[in-house]
Amino acid sequence: MATGSEIKDIVPDEALEVCARQIIVNYFHEMLSYKEGAKKGTDIGFVHDMRVTSRRLRAAMDNFADCFPKRPFKKHYKKVKAITRTMGAVRDLDVLIVRFENELVNLMEGERSDIREVIEHLQRKRKDAREPMLMLFEELEETGFETKFLEFFGGRYN
Amino acid sequence: MAKAHKVIGVEPLRSYQENARIILPQRLEEVYTWEPFIRDETKREELHNMRISIKRLRYTMELFRVVYGLPTADSRYAEFLAVIVDLQEILGDIHDADVVLEVLADYTSQSGNREGRIDILSGAATLIARTQETRKADYETFLEKWDQLSAAGFKQELLSFLQKNQTRKPVTLSRRSPL
Repeated sequence: MATGSEIKDIVPDEALEVCARQIIVNYFHEMLSYKEGAKKGTDIGFVHDMRVTSRRLRAAMDNFADCFPKRPFKKHYKKVKAITRTMGAVRDLDVLIVRFENELVNLMEGERSDIREVIEHLQRKRKDAREPMLMLFEELEETGFETKFLEFFGGRYN
Repeated sequence: MAKAHKVIGVEPLRSYQENARIILPQRLEEVYTWEPFIRDETKREELHNMRISIKRLRYTMELFRVVYGLPTADSRYAEFLAVIVDLQEILGDIHDADVVLEVLADYTSQSGNREGRIDILSGAATLIARTQETRKADYETFLEKWDQLSAAGFKQELLSFLQKNQTRKPVTLSRRSPL
């Protein structure tokens, strides 16, 4: 489960700019820590945790945007947004599949066949939805996004 | 999905806690921009957007929790946060029900077009009926909660709390970070 609700070592008297860097870098590291699990795809928790952390990261970036030069900030923000979006497509299907699977036990035997069909349809869609996510990960790795992001936001603290 | 509202007046060189007073009220206001739509249960998109704004407020409140860390203020802050999480969850349940209904509606319309499929649609029909019921109940619960919060002056209470209960007195200019 994502642990990102609390960022340690934030000093309320410190300049926002300093705290913003610390928070963004922290969430970024946490988000990446779920990537290998999300790529594997066997445990749906990783996609969930990575998506939640990407949302926390975006919330922080939305709040602290004024601490950074506009153009490069926007470039990085767009990539994080793409991560949330592609992961969202997979996660939404995971949630639906689990929900319909749980519903099966509450249906009479005769009612289950079409819901099984719905589940199979959703599983096929999930497989398709994973493709853009995996392609994005690949693209981000090839273009050195992670390093560039940390250089930009970590700046002098790395 | 609606974009996050641009926060105005952020001062990067001022302290984290001073900026909490600037950012948090604006995130709260963002939530209330969706209030005019909540009495119409067919405004699915707007309810969804309100949920996203509430989530944004929640994450922002969690970010600034350290600012309201005095023992006297901390538990009150946690109470406000719990209300926000509760609203987010109930709106999440409503949204989930809307998505399930959409999937089942698509399925039944596609299956209905295929010859001989109507007879085995009963599972989908049962789930549609059940989900509509729970969606209705969740929506009513949400409105009840919202009305209770409004009657108790939740928004004003939270705004006033955010201004008055910081850990330390605000400093005018914080020190720059070491290079």
